[in-house]
Amino acid sequence: METKGKGLTRRESLKLIGAAAGVLLTGFPLKVGAQEPIRLGTLCPLTGAGGPYGPQMQQAIVAVVKEINDGGGIHGHPIQLFNEDSQTNPEAAVRATHKLIEVNKVSAVIGTWASAVTMAVAPVCFNSKVFEISVSGADVITDLKDDDYIWRTQPNSVLQAEVHAKFSLQKGWRKLVYMAVQTPYAKTFGDAYAKVAEAGGTKVLDSMIYEADKSSYRSELTKALAGKPDLIMLMGYTPDSIVIFKELFKMDYKGAIQGPTFAINQKLIDTAGAEVAEGAYSLDPATDPDSPAFKNCARLLGTTEVNNYAAQTYDHINLITLAMAQGKVYTGTGIRDNVRKIANPPGAEVGTFQEGMKLIKEGKKINYQGASGAVDFDDKGDILSRPFSYYQVKGGKNVVIGTMK
Amino acid sequence: MLEQLPQFVVNGIISGGVLALPAIAFSLLYGILRFPNFAIGTYLTAGGFIAFAANATLGLPISVAFLVSMLVTGFLGVGIDQLAFRPMRERRPLTLAIVSIGVSFVLENVVRFIWGNEMRGYQVPVARGMELWGIRIGKEQVVILAVTLLVMALVQLLLKATRLGKAMRAVADNPMLASVKGIDSEQVILKTSYIGAALAGAAGVMVGIDTVVEPLMGFKLILSIFAAAILGGLGSATAALGGAFFVGLAEEVSLIWLPATYKSAIGFGMIVLVLLFRPEGLFRRKG
Repeated sequence: METKGKGLTRRESLKLIGAAAGVLLTGFPLKVGAQEPIRLGTLCPLTGAGGPYGPQMQQAIVAVVKEINDGGGIHGHPIQLFNEDSQTNPEAAVRATHKLIEVNKVSAVIGTWASAVTMAVAPVCFNSKVFEISVSGADVITDLKDDDYIWRTQPNSVLQAEVHAKFSLQKGWRKLVYMAVQTPYAKTFGDAYAKVAEAGGTKVLDSMIYEADKSSYRSELTKALAGKPDLIMLMGYTPDSIVIFKELFKMDYKGAIQGPTFAINQKLIDTAGAEVAEGAYSLDPATDPDSPAFKNCARLLGTTEVNNYAAQTYDHINLITLAMAQGKVYTGTGIRDNVRKIANPPGAEVGTFQEGMKLIKEGKKINYQGASGAVDFDDKGDILSRPFSYYQVKGGKNVVIGTMK
Repeated sequence: MLEQLPQFVVNGIISGGVLALPAIAFSLLYGILRFPNFAIGTYLTAGGFIAFAANATLGLPISVAFLVSMLVTGFLGVGIDQLAFRPMRERRPLTLAIVSIGVSFVLENVVRFIWGNEMRGYQVPVARGMELWGIRIGKEQVVILAVTLLVMALVQLLLKATRLGKAMRAVADNPMLASVKGIDSEQVILKTSYIGAALAGAAGVMVGIDTVVEPLMGFKLILSIFAAAILGGLGSATAALGGAFFVGLAEEVSLIWLPATYKSAIGFGMIVLVLLFRPEGLFRRKG
């Protein structure tokens, strides 16, 4: 449908104008005489299913960068941020990533949410030797032949599925149906979940992967309810979960619903209705609210209501900047080669860039402890551990009912 | 799973009911204007949000919001016709189809600009469903189906028993002959645009009550709407109605045998089959 003629297409020229405006807007406050800026890109889900989290995720990164720049940058290099919206949409995210890498020449793409989005942008990044760090859980992400450029602070789906299954067992549900929206993790999560659940004596009646973006799931649910389950384990996103919650209610389902907190969130409760969501259980990798990093993140954001993903992007930007401070190489490869050195033990525990920078200048080894947990990485770029929180909807609010360290 | 068949059939009828109004709108517009108007899906979205404004923002009851939505979305359809389609009236159908896709992008983003990207719900209490002879059905769904049937009956009445309906059918049949007979085709186009958009707006409210109001609500349905209209053979309201129920039933009942991930493929598959074997539509005689 696009016209391919001589010169630029309309879309290309719009992109150029946009890019030019971006450079003008973000480029000007650079101090005169400063060294070559370090270019970093953010790609948070400002709109779409990740919309409830994206703005704060980006805000955390912007706030950290501002403080670093105010303090003189990294060894004198100021950081220049380019912010794009992933729209929680793989196609839009890939376009934005091309722009970030080819036009803005960034050395890292930070903060992708949703596994499908991360999977889509990953090849674009590692083929250009750009460091990419996400909050996505699908196992395949770090299994890619990515030459170690693809990292994440979200536990992989197997680890999450096992925690979910243990919770279901602990609650004593005996017959369940697993339903998941079509994502790169739907299958691996379901298999890992079923394995633990069945080993514990629970029967998995049906395992169903459904399409996102349907206006109704009535027949999928008819199928799910056929065996009269006492739990529906729902690995959805918020938009489809809302529809499913409402339809289950209308179908007079009285069993339990369990899912991830990124789907069963306040948005779902408000849109589907408090009565409809009442009693639903959800689990999410938690933050570490007692850590110095979390407190600093909360201070920068001006609120203690830091969502789990903003805590992670706070960690992303600190990991990246500290890795650059450590290695004094400001490329994607430089970040890749130095993250483990500053994130994993041994070393002095730090939770902010400023503390870490000071120790690095003194020639000391540091071990970054994040707002989202210890953030120690294995050789694939996966984190090794993560605290979890359990929630239940009570009176129109998600209430914490337990945590697991 | 087969013992659940009656439930799947009921689900299919409800889905068909949701598709019926926009499918009729699509057919009516095609009949008069001779191009597939893909913006129908987005008219539906606009209708859903207009009712949201009336219901949640202004505090009107949902029944009034429903009427407001039909009324306003109708004018929206006329406005868009004058602005976007009228200057292109003499172009080929393909050009107009592309214009309609453009219109739907613009309109969707206007909706996003005004109401944001978030999902919303009407101020309607969600009621627990009831169970009749082992079939579960929600109270809203009964209401939705009843209202849909009522609106469809009114459309039929309009087409068969009014001067406008006759004029519409005449223009759809043979625009040249109609204009020779003194029918002002621009007038007919205006009124059809109004009715088409109003029907889509009505459907938007139904979908919003049944599920959620969000900027992609209409776009998600456009494939099924298109399939229903093609199945009906484009251009006839009754046939589009049949097509809608056919698509709704096929999409739901097929889930007995097919994994849920193939739901979208049903609509596509039916378009292909119909175009291969009965390009004139399921409910039309050849000729």
